[in-house]
Amino acid sequence: MQLPAQQVAVLEAASADEATSVDALAERADLPPETVTGAAFELEDESLVEIEERVDETVALTEEGAGYAGDALPEVRLYEAALEAGADEEAVQMGRVIGASGLEGAGVDIALSNYARKGYGTIDSGEITADPDADPSADAEANALETLADADEAAVDSVDVDSETLDQLERRGLLERRESTVREIRLTDRAVTELMAGIETAETVGQVTPELITSGEWEDVEFAEYNVEADAEEIGSGKVHVLRQMSERVKDVLVGMGFQEMDGPHVDADFWINDCLFMPQDHPARTHWDRFAMEQPSHIDELPEDLVADVERVHREGLGDDSEGYHSPWDEDFARALALRGHTTSLSTRYLSGTQIGEIEPPARFFSVEKAYRNDTLDATHLLEFYQIEGWVMAEDLSVRDLMGTFEEFYTQFGIEDIQFKPHYNPYTEPSFELFGTHPTTGELIEIGNSGIFREEMLEPLGVDCDVMAWGLALERLAMLTTGAEDIRDLHGTLADLEFLRNAEVTY
Amino acid sequence: MPTVDIDPDELRGLTGREEKSDDELKDDLFGLGLEFEGRTEDGEFELEFAPDRLDRLSVEGVARSMRYHYGDSRGVHVPSTNSADWTIEVDDSVPDERPYVTGAVIRDVDLDEEALESLIQLQEKLHATMGRKRAKGAIGIHDLTMLKGRSATDKSEPTIEYVGLEPDEDTFVPLDSDREMTPAEVLEDHQTGQTYADLVSEYERYPAIYDDLGLFSFPPVINGRRTEVSTDSRDLFVEMTGTDQWTIDKMLNIVCYALAARGATLEDVEVEYPDREIVRPDLATKTKTVAHDRIETILGIGLDPEEVIDLAERSGLEAERQESDDGELVYEVTVPPYRVDVLHPLDVIDDLGRAYGFNDLEPTYPDVGTVGGRHERSRLERAARTQLVGLGFEDLLNFHMINEAENYERVDLEPDADVYGAGEPATIKEAYSEDYTMLRTWTMPSLLMVLERNTHRSYPQHLSEIGFTARVDESENTGVGENRHVGAVLASHEAGYEDAKARLQALAENFDVDLETPPTDHPTFIPGRTASVVIDGEEVGVIGEVHPKVLVEHDLEVPVAAFEFDLEALQ
Repeated sequence: MQLPAQQVAVLEAASADEATSVDALAERADLPPETVTGAAFELEDESLVEIEERVDETVALTEEGAGYAGDALPEVRLYEAALEAGADEEAVQMGRVIGASGLEGAGVDIALSNYARKGYGTIDSGEITADPDADPSADAEANALETLADADEAAVDSVDVDSETLDQLERRGLLERRESTVREIRLTDRAVTELMAGIETAETVGQVTPELITSGEWEDVEFAEYNVEADAEEIGSGKVHVLRQMSERVKDVLVGMGFQEMDGPHVDADFWINDCLFMPQDHPARTHWDRFAMEQPSHIDELPEDLVADVERVHREGLGDDSEGYHSPWDEDFARALALRGHTTSLSTRYLSGTQIGEIEPPARFFSVEKAYRNDTLDATHLLEFYQIEGWVMAEDLSVRDLMGTFEEFYTQFGIEDIQFKPHYNPYTEPSFELFGTHPTTGELIEIGNSGIFREEMLEPLGVDCDVMAWGLALERLAMLTTGAEDIRDLHGTLADLEFLRNAEVTY
Repeated sequence: MPTVDIDPDELRGLTGREEKSDDELKDDLFGLGLEFEGRTEDGEFELEFAPDRLDRLSVEGVARSMRYHYGDSRGVHVPSTNSADWTIEVDDSVPDERPYVTGAVIRDVDLDEEALESLIQLQEKLHATMGRKRAKGAIGIHDLTMLKGRSATDKSEPTIEYVGLEPDEDTFVPLDSDREMTPAEVLEDHQTGQTYADLVSEYERYPAIYDDLGLFSFPPVINGRRTEVSTDSRDLFVEMTGTDQWTIDKMLNIVCYALAARGATLEDVEVEYPDREIVRPDLATKTKTVAHDRIETILGIGLDPEEVIDLAERSGLEAERQESDDGELVYEVTVPPYRVDVLHPLDVIDDLGRAYGFNDLEPTYPDVGTVGGRHERSRLERAARTQLVGLGFEDLLNFHMINEAENYERVDLEPDADVYGAGEPATIKEAYSEDYTMLRTWTMPSLLMVLERNTHRSYPQHLSEIGFTARVDESENTGVGENRHVGAVLASHEAGYEDAKARLQALAENFDVDLETPPTDHPTFIPGRTASVVIDGEEVGVIGEVHPKVLVEHDLEVPVAAFEFDLEALQ
């Protein structure tokens, strides 16, 4: 008969007289144990071998147990410290003995809970005594630990420790019992007969080679069967960062809705970041410590003179007879101070002012998905740097209904429906809304953005005489919603865990 | 966002809606834009508010808004005031930095524990918001019976005097203390004094208020103990000082409305500046002219004038139909004196929309066509990133902020070295975290930090980033040169110069640019294994094997080959 080489090797290594373990066969046949097991099952199907299975119980020390084996049990350490302190003569203050023993944290509790049980002495009202007759060297648990420390994964029958002590160690979490299946193989009569008749090794081919293909030899060979179910070796593959993927998806959606992308400086003058947004200079957000002011350089070189004058006028006086300004100071030097932009609305003010790409005529839609900076405490949901999705629509006569319709359309693309609009206050928009949506999996109502119609006091100095509606939200919030990430720090920044990035699910 | 604590029982009492359950109240409050955040230890509602409606910083103000919301109250109500008995005289010596004062007398107020607590909260919240932490406006409330009016001049009416004082000129017993202190001692030794010392420490003279018995208040820092308000107080003297008359007058109006809502009687106070006299509180209403057409376009719906008038009254405003000069339908809208947020007719339209119910509006998609598109830089970034990922790199997203140690020292670079990646740092003022004090000048430090944090992960680790970098550049308008760099590191047991070069070559080929790599020296890399990246004849980056001392510094035990260059070079 003909059999594949591995099966022949197993047959030749096995015996009809006694069952041989897989490990022993593997050694004899110089094959990996899993290959021997696989071949043995194939041979069993052919009635050439019999497989006997039994379950072995083994014991091994836990990390804690192994520690004590090297370092003595906590109760023994306590006893030795107690003896040292003279507790065999009279009761001693416990704190002193614990201090002298060097035990800390959980070790103290462990020592106390086993001390009296094992007859090392008594503990009463904060005092400890030591029994002078106790003998740590006769401590069954300590001795068992020492015995087991040398035998890794020993079969339970083979270790010289009584079962009561084993049970006690297991209860203390110092030892683990494991079960493993051991298989032994014995040749059948049929195998003996066939072996005597002679078994040939089948000519099988592993790797398909260029020679095999071009020579035509492939016609005469048998292809070795592979275990096609087995996991292959892991290979690394590059991947676009998960947050970038999200940003690309957002950009795709916005471009599809007719939005053009904006670009501009990260370090910018407060003028563009706040003053142009009709934010009073004494607004708490502008003096708040969460702003990243620049030290070097500290002020922008030049600002458009006319625009500065117009912005100052509106801050001070408002717009026309029926409007009033802020009762707040306004200082050009303050406006020229540089900061890392706290929102990307600074791009919108630059674009709307006509200084970035020239005058923009309605209708127009613009967006950006860019970084903004907040000097806040880092935690699972807050980073110092985050991506803000910013968008605006410029047209004659826009209404809040248009604003609502635009957002509904946008969020529907990300599976977020039933948007609610909570009237809100922003210094630069009126009316303003916080947007709430329903979390696709948890059903929770969560804030997903902030929006509104830009105030006329903001638009007039910028030279815009039609309506502009705008909104913003954090990309990370959208990403956490759609990827289920729980700690934003895994995603973004130099604290990134490569394993997390490698395993992250692709979004599209 | 700021919060205000409201006792739901008080709210029921003041709105006259005893039947409302706590849950119903929460829903009604959400409708006003006051979001329920949780309960305080005493069971009060903690409500988050947007900082526009500062008239809602107390249960009295919230109750007033609720009554309009329920339709139990309509239009504008202005409490009447009795004519002035008391005068505040402003002396020439008042510090220039804080010249303004205002005030009112409140009589027959019934201050139980809850009412007093609410008044104290209102004072604190006004300080935190409009008062800009007392810098712009500070409130002092005194028990009137403890004041003895000075009849300083020929006047018969009682007077208190707002003056400027030398830091150690006089003494008084401040609140929460039992010894006489000078203003300077208060700033030094008293807890409240220390908190607010910064507000006045630069002043030559300190603000102070006197009555006939002497110094009783040191605004904006602390009041005297003598005039402390308690639940036994029946008549109050409210004074406010600040840097802006309008601001303190409005804060005063909000306090007056809150006390009037509890049945108190308001009484005018005369304020005598050296050059003029005013009477406060100023409870005059103001008007805004709002075009009907604008209301309809902003809300996107058609409305009858009667509806507009009704919506206005339900918002606590009053609207009167008029015709503008060019024949348009407009409304003259009256705004009550406690409103501080109505700057422009648009703010009135927002009120009308809230009264209508924004969520009752049907969304529409704006019927205007525009052409969308990506910015060129973002297209280039995407294309380069796609190539890098195809070459097997894990795309990273690192912080733009870093500190000097990471950016320079740990990669053995001097800021002023004449090599790629160096440059004068754009630095952050009073950085909150010592890890983030400047903008990175190149991406290599970030990439090495990621390698450093991931030594327990499997190799090879091929990482790349197309990222923002910045440095001081006086030729730029902002003084900062902002650039995108392409950075890449290859870390594995066999990584070498050639691996990096192979990938850089592939990139150059894909973008059809000429690449040369003449030898150079760079402290981050091993001498003899370092080259300049020269693309289309211009030196735009560096490539090499990272120097072992940099590897050791980052706890790396495998070789790292790397390159970094300006993204623009691929254009």
